[in-house]
Amino acid sequence: MTGDATLHPSPDDLVLYHYGEADHPAGLETHLAGCAACQAALDSLRATLSAVRAEEPPERGADYGARVWERLQTRLALSGTGGGRWPGWARGLAPRRLFFTGALAASLLLAFLLGRHSPRPGAEGTSGPVRERILLVAVGDHLERSQVVLLELLNADPKDPLDVSAERRSAEDLLSANRLYRLAAVRTGEPGVARVLEELERVLVEVANGPSELGPEETLALRRRIESQGVLFKVRVIGSQIRERQREAAQGPRKVEL
Amino acid sequence: MQRMEESDADALALARAGDSEGFRVLVERHSRALFRLAYRMTGNEHDAEDVVQEAFLRAYRRLHQYDQRARFSSWLYRIAANCAFDLLRARRRRDEDPWPEGTEAAPADFPATDPAPDRLVMSAEVKQRVTVAMSRMSAQEKAAFVLRHFEGMSIAEIGQALDLEASAAKQSVLRAVRKVRQVLAPALGEVAP
Repeated sequence: MTGDATLHPSPDDLVLYHYGEADHPAGLETHLAGCAACQAALDSLRATLSAVRAEEPPERGADYGARVWERLQTRLALSGTGGGRWPGWARGLAPRRLFFTGALAASLLLAFLLGRHSPRPGAEGTSGPVRERILLVAVGDHLERSQVVLLELLNADPKDPLDVSAERRSAEDLLSANRLYRLAAVRTGEPGVARVLEELERVLVEVANGPSELGPEETLALRRRIESQGVLFKVRVIGSQIRERQREAAQGPRKVEL
Repeated sequence: MQRMEESDADALALARAGDSEGFRVLVERHSRALFRLAYRMTGNEHDAEDVVQEAFLRAYRRLHQYDQRARFSSWLYRIAANCAFDLLRARRRRDEDPWPEGTEAAPADFPATDPAPDRLVMSAEVKQRVTVAMSRMSAQEKAAFVLRHFEGMSIAEIGQALDLEASAAKQSVLRAVRKVRQVLAPALGEVAP
């Protein structure tokens, strides 16, 4: 809509006017004052949009912020274990965790797959539920380790040349395990998990095969790629789903599928 | 609000200096508002919780980028909106669209469209139609529409929050409104412009 008050506004013009975003509101108001049809169209639009109301979010208690903080500080601490770019208070909160190396994760995975898909009658050893729990722990830890690497890269200051040799080593270590987990996810019918692992793998390959030091432009480009694909967020979502499965697996005999 | 912003500045200064207490204050103060925004954007309690966590993590990583001329709460809000947008995009790619654009909802999906004397029936129908309209929106359209329609953000602010050009944000809002009208108009007897 131009400022010409003789032209009928388009439906989009009326929407923008309704939201206070019209380019020439004065011209449009003049037109509306003299055009009953357009005024009726605007009234009708307003009636429709006023029917679209937000669903009231579930109430959160006064202690909600404290609960958010409780969960958050563990994750901040976890992020601080890698490269020392996080403040001391965050590093100090780091839980003592035993991370599986890529090789160990791979051997666990193979044990799991052999046990699950090639059962030997009468074979003794780790039971199915226990094997699944071990695998869930391994995958959960793998995703958490991956998050640390992604966070380090996202948190890097792009103003200076960045030494990523530690992240590169971590990525190399994570890569072999990631490939196996992805294959396992495909094999066990978990396409959502497989897709996220595939996206994670691309980032890990890039970091593992990249230089040990990134210039500001390279750091920014890598960060943009990670952020634009939402890899970190997806890894977190899958990680939280796996933690939920871990809890379920620990609670009862219900079958937990990966 | 002014007092809140001043105390945000104090807490922010502490957080930037590496004091966990400062960041804790900010998290506890703004969590509920962020949850409400995240819930409106995702429509899901569990997703909203994840968005709140992710938003604070991103905010923490970017504390050094925060420009003190803007209100801290607005800055945080934009980060949360961006996190919710990422989640919507991820979900959109994964899930099948139950209502592809251009298809009309089956009559059986709605109560009768005849004017009903009972306002509750009408309200339920409208609510159902709103749900259908929202499900027809792309992630970008939905995010932009929620921020414009429910949260009252300007198109320029939406562009900033979602990392979009203002023109793209505007077009997303307009497409979303068209979808709303397409689905709601039959129930409300809207006059075509």
